[in-house]
Amino acid sequence: MIAQDNKPETTSALDAIAPSPIAGEGVSGGARRARVQLLPYALVAPAAIFLLCVHFIPMAAGLYMSLLRLNQGHLLEFLGAPFVGVQNFVYILFDPISPIRGQFLDAARNTVIYTILVNGLALALGLGAALLISRDFRGRGMVRTLLLLPWVVPTYVVGILWGFMWQQDSGIVNHVLRLLHIPWQPFWLLGPLTMVAIVIPTAWRNFPQMMLLLSAGLAGIPADLYEAAEVDGAKPWQRLRYITLPMLRPIMAVVLLFGIIATVYSFNVVFTMFGRGVGYPGEWGDVLTTMIYRNSFQQLNFGVGAAASALLMFVCIAMVAVWYRTFREDLRAR
Amino acid sequence: MIGNLRAPRVRRLDTGRRSRLTPPQAVVLGAIVVLTIFPIYWMVVSSLKTNFELLSGSHVSLLPNLAGLQLQNYVLMWQRIDLAIYVRNSLIICIAATLIAVALASLSGFGLAYFRFRGAGAYSLAVTATQLLPGILFLLPIFLIFRQVQLATGLQIVDTHQGLVLLYVAFFMPLSIWILRGYFAGIPRELVEAALVDGSTMLGAFRRIVLPLAVPGLVATATYIFLTAWDELLFAVVMTSSSSTMTIPVGIRSYIGQQAGHYDLLMAAATAVCVPPALMFLFFQRHVVSGLTAGAVK
Repeated sequence: MIAQDNKPETTSALDAIAPSPIAGEGVSGGARRARVQLLPYALVAPAAIFLLCVHFIPMAAGLYMSLLRLNQGHLLEFLGAPFVGVQNFVYILFDPISPIRGQFLDAARNTVIYTILVNGLALALGLGAALLISRDFRGRGMVRTLLLLPWVVPTYVVGILWGFMWQQDSGIVNHVLRLLHIPWQPFWLLGPLTMVAIVIPTAWRNFPQMMLLLSAGLAGIPADLYEAAEVDGAKPWQRLRYITLPMLRPIMAVVLLFGIIATVYSFNVVFTMFGRGVGYPGEWGDVLTTMIYRNSFQQLNFGVGAAASALLMFVCIAMVAVWYRTFREDLRAR
Repeated sequence: MIGNLRAPRVRRLDTGRRSRLTPPQAVVLGAIVVLTIFPIYWMVVSSLKTNFELLSGSHVSLLPNLAGLQLQNYVLMWQRIDLAIYVRNSLIICIAATLIAVALASLSGFGLAYFRFRGAGAYSLAVTATQLLPGILFLLPIFLIFRQVQLATGLQIVDTHQGLVLLYVAFFMPLSIWILRGYFAGIPRELVEAALVDGSTMLGAFRRIVLPLAVPGLVATATYIFLTAWDELLFAVVMTSSSSTMTIPVGIRSYIGQQAGHYDLLMAAATAVCVPPALMFLFFQRHVVSGLTAGAVK
């Protein structure tokens, strides 16, 4: 793994430096050659060891676990538990009498809906806020700081706080509805409304980062594009439609990629919002992460939990694939 | 992947040319601001009420009860929730993880930004790929592996501060490497070359030239790691079981398990645990904004 020097023509320290658009290469001084060849490996090694030990080896173990009957009775045997092949996957996906199947399908559906709604809402809010604070007015800095505030609220607090705000009787959301004379004070944490109750807080927590990055993207759009459009008589919404949005697509792609992965794997908001954090949030509030946690750590059915986690990873990869299809051109364009 | 998304480095013209906010836009922006800060306002206001006021149904008031501010909630929470020890644990774990992760990620970022070496592409890919792995898939293997290592070597890992530090360093390193690599790549190469010509080593140039120039990026990365580690719940729940190691989310969760419905103290604790990230964020806001956007846009 450590450097074999297979480029004997390398004579200068700087040849090892990656080419850059700014600088040319080739100041000579060959004395440090051997050292320079080893140095990059020494630099990346500590991080690489961490990634290997904490990500890749445990993940291989986890994937193998999904093929084992690893329940309470076999927990101490760990990887020595009975090998059952794809039986866990069949049990989750196809076994009509398994209690897990219904939970898994609900949770998978909810994870997809949750991810789409959270990111759609956060992107719309983030884009709207970024466009508005790119304009000129007094107190811009102050407004931007206020809009970034949800970012410092830990997600476990988001779950507890909004769980409190959604209360049917004493919650502030229903109280505000009452003040507005809207005769509708539902149980937010029951039935399909549960989805609303988890989407809004998550989007609220996530949109500030999107706003921040989209603001940077807006600042990077050359002003002469707008001037040219103005000369051509483009209306403001046409400028938005034909200049701003297309120019922002690459940064939107990045923002959405991070958003999608974070939401598919998110756990804290749902976990802390419902009761004591261990309860079943109902068929419209359960996402895959909470479903897997419940089955692994309460039912102690770790083989099934590992198989469901592997399927969760497929859900994430599928959503990233959709993302990639949507933004392929933008990734290539620059 | 992210490296391909270089935005043109042209700024919008000076603020004089920026179009002004029209009144309808101001109304929309005002509404967004109010909706954004209202939950935080409500958390703080609720932390200053009695639990009876909070649960009194239709008598809930949007305003704080100025005559009866329950400042003692902020005293009681330390006694009833045992918050001090959780805050101590979270601070130790998050600060240690932040320092170690920034140090290691800056070495990796420097390696990737300044050297061409066999395996660099595969390494970058591996760093990126970690982001697609669900934590819950390797949570149990890690726990069981840690226990095996502990039995084999006698090192304490499970239910210790160092065990969580180890995990958090690994979790938040990939994105830190990306941010810092982007930041280092933006530092003019001539400066490094000049140092090399003057007889400095690469490491010397890294220490004396690159790192000082990258302080905003380092601060942004550290803030990101600290905020994310402060937020971590899933692994902390499984890895800590005694109150001498529990981090804040685990401790608060166990309090809710024992005492459901004490929203007055809960809101006080929730407000208090927002303070360290808020201070860090407000203190470093400019660095965070410039550092994270540089890392992500480049």
